[in-house]
Amino acid sequence: MIEIDNVTFRYKTTDAAGNPRIVGGVSHLTLTVAPGEFVVLAGDSGCGKTTVTRLINGLVPHYYPGELEGSVRVAGIDAAKAGIGELAAHVGSVFQNPRSQFFNVDTTSELAFASENRCMEPDAIRESIRRVAREMDIEALLDRSIFALSGGEKQKIACASVAVAGPEIIVLDEPSSNLDAEGIKELEKTLALWKSEGKIVVIAEHRLYYLAKLADRLIRMKDGEIVEEIGRDRLRSMTEEEAYARGLRSLREVGLPERRTGNNTEAHDADRDFLICRNLSFRYKHSDHGIDFPELHFRRGAVTAIVGRNGAGKSTFARVLCGLERRAKGQVFFDGREWPRKKRAELCYSIMQDVNHQLFTDSVLEEVLLSMPERKGVSEKEREKAAREMLGRLDLLPLADTHPMALSGGQKQRVAIASGVVSGSPVLLFDEPTSGLDLSHMRQVGELLKLLREEGRTVLVITHDIELVREAADEVVRFD
Amino acid sequence: MQFFRNGNEGYRSVLDPRTKLLWLVVINVVILGTGFTGVDFILRIVSAAIPFILFFLIRRPRTALLYGAVCAVMLFTEGVVIPSTKGIVNMIVVMAVGPFSRILVGYAFAFYMMCSTTVSEFVTAMRKMRVPDAVTIPLSVMFRFFPTLAEEGGAIRDAMRLRGIGIGGKRGGILRQLEYVIVPLMMSALRIGDELSAASLTKGLNAGRPRTHICRVKMELWDWALVLLGTGFLVYMLVIR
Repeated sequence: MIEIDNVTFRYKTTDAAGNPRIVGGVSHLTLTVAPGEFVVLAGDSGCGKTTVTRLINGLVPHYYPGELEGSVRVAGIDAAKAGIGELAAHVGSVFQNPRSQFFNVDTTSELAFASENRCMEPDAIRESIRRVAREMDIEALLDRSIFALSGGEKQKIACASVAVAGPEIIVLDEPSSNLDAEGIKELEKTLALWKSEGKIVVIAEHRLYYLAKLADRLIRMKDGEIVEEIGRDRLRSMTEEEAYARGLRSLREVGLPERRTGNNTEAHDADRDFLICRNLSFRYKHSDHGIDFPELHFRRGAVTAIVGRNGAGKSTFARVLCGLERRAKGQVFFDGREWPRKKRAELCYSIMQDVNHQLFTDSVLEEVLLSMPERKGVSEKEREKAAREMLGRLDLLPLADTHPMALSGGQKQRVAIASGVVSGSPVLLFDEPTSGLDLSHMRQVGELLKLLREEGRTVLVITHDIELVREAADEVVRFD
Repeated sequence: MQFFRNGNEGYRSVLDPRTKLLWLVVINVVILGTGFTGVDFILRIVSAAIPFILFFLIRRPRTALLYGAVCAVMLFTEGVVIPSTKGIVNMIVVMAVGPFSRILVGYAFAFYMMCSTTVSEFVTAMRKMRVPDAVTIPLSVMFRFFPTLAEEGGAIRDAMRLRGIGIGGKRGGILRQLEYVIVPLMMSALRIGDELSAASLTKGLNAGRPRTHICRVKMELWDWALVLLGTGFLVYMLVIR
């Protein structure tokens, strides 16, 4: 049982200049979750749904400090007084980022970790690991290095490590952000298992289609408050339009739009109208993974979505296209000439999934200037003017002097896009640009892609997000 | 970039990590401190042979043979070639072989230790030696943090190459380029550290409270025999000699 009664919480943080700042969490929130109930928290980024999960596992207020009013009772414990450790015996947590939620380097140790901390008998832990491995079908993942697992496998281990300790409450914070369709299916299975075991499941999430069949209740939040509670039957019958009107992602699985599926092998009118890749092939060392594509065509000046399951080589293709893999073979043609590997970084600007790795300077303006090619006869002033113009078009002008790392995820991504546009590269490649984005931000990315197309750029988007494909793609290429 | 081996439940190394730690000390003391006559020579040969045998026990025969061959050449050079040469030749041989021969055995043993011990075994053994959690927990975080940082570093390097900046790139001086690596690396290190602490706390990690361990670490007969032998070596080296 979880009882959150009239809780107001504000985070205490510091801003870029080091001044204390109070930022939104939740206000006057009341929520009761009965045993065995499956509750989904939804709403825009920053609506307070993550704060609710943190109230339940004790990270708020014990790890993320701030002002807390009202009472939180979790499994009969006063969560504000008890420490995170005491709550950990009753609450298991799964987080968004698979790279930062493991304490151990091998899977089996990680599975045992929570139970070891609770001082369970070693034999009981071993027994529990075997049972969970059987139930979740992860026997093949035991005794492996965590660094060698895929994102989907990591998230499975994260779920399993929670299950081994057997808490009665499980909270998840955007667990599907880094997963492909297959990974999401696996996650859905795990959640269904927990539901059948009568556990309380509270999940904050943007992607909703995989939860519609499981949820007993969906709680829609806005600015730290609950604005709507949607019951089970209403959820099952809700159409896409009704969901979109509420600012929610689709509750039904969206199929690939048929008419757009790419005409990838047909003869083409003129080669100059395409980005053409011939006989691209690459193998990773000591592994069977790699790619081997005889011929690929991407229409110039169009947005092409690249879809396909994990391991089909989408990201490898991106690395090869940009010339990052030295041992890759094959030719790339664009604009009537061939682009050798070393030149391809100029042909193709890539915006990676984790934009945090892609920002290097100390201000947004500087970041954009860094990408702008220096031309003879163009003064510093003119360069800066052009950069500011680009920032204005992406609603970033007020942030021109801000440190890139102080931006929100969506803003960082827009800065990366701005850098790509000013770089003058004719081809822009996006790797999973909408992972972990809510409806309005997903649509914003869609708008940006269309804007780039208007500019005459050739845009390739690697994505699992079918809603984005429907929103913005002219053609779809499927890798299998 | 990953220390220690993976695997846990199904795997047990032949020796207890405590025995390995003791022998790491013994081997270095013996190899750095002995000459080539009498008892010294016997100690030296025995110490050099130990990694050789142990590599076979962890099924790395190729490593064992390579080590054995290099070691034999080194011992031969130091024991026979150096005393029988003079002048400039002697100096060249000493400078070429001397330092390497002194660290080779210790290095081989450390390598054996890394590839035969899991992090859990190591941490459990530390705990059995009554090393407090305040030491073991940061240590185990470190073991997982370095590979993570290496992954991040790789991603950042790629991003820099894509934008044509960085070492050998076209923009800025060397300091500027260093800044381009350090800034995102620090940022992601901070973020990952922060998220990792939060995740560990929700799994009940709390330094100062005892934990149980599924990892089996126990001193067997072999361990005791080696501990006895190692202690004997140490006593001889540090007291008797």
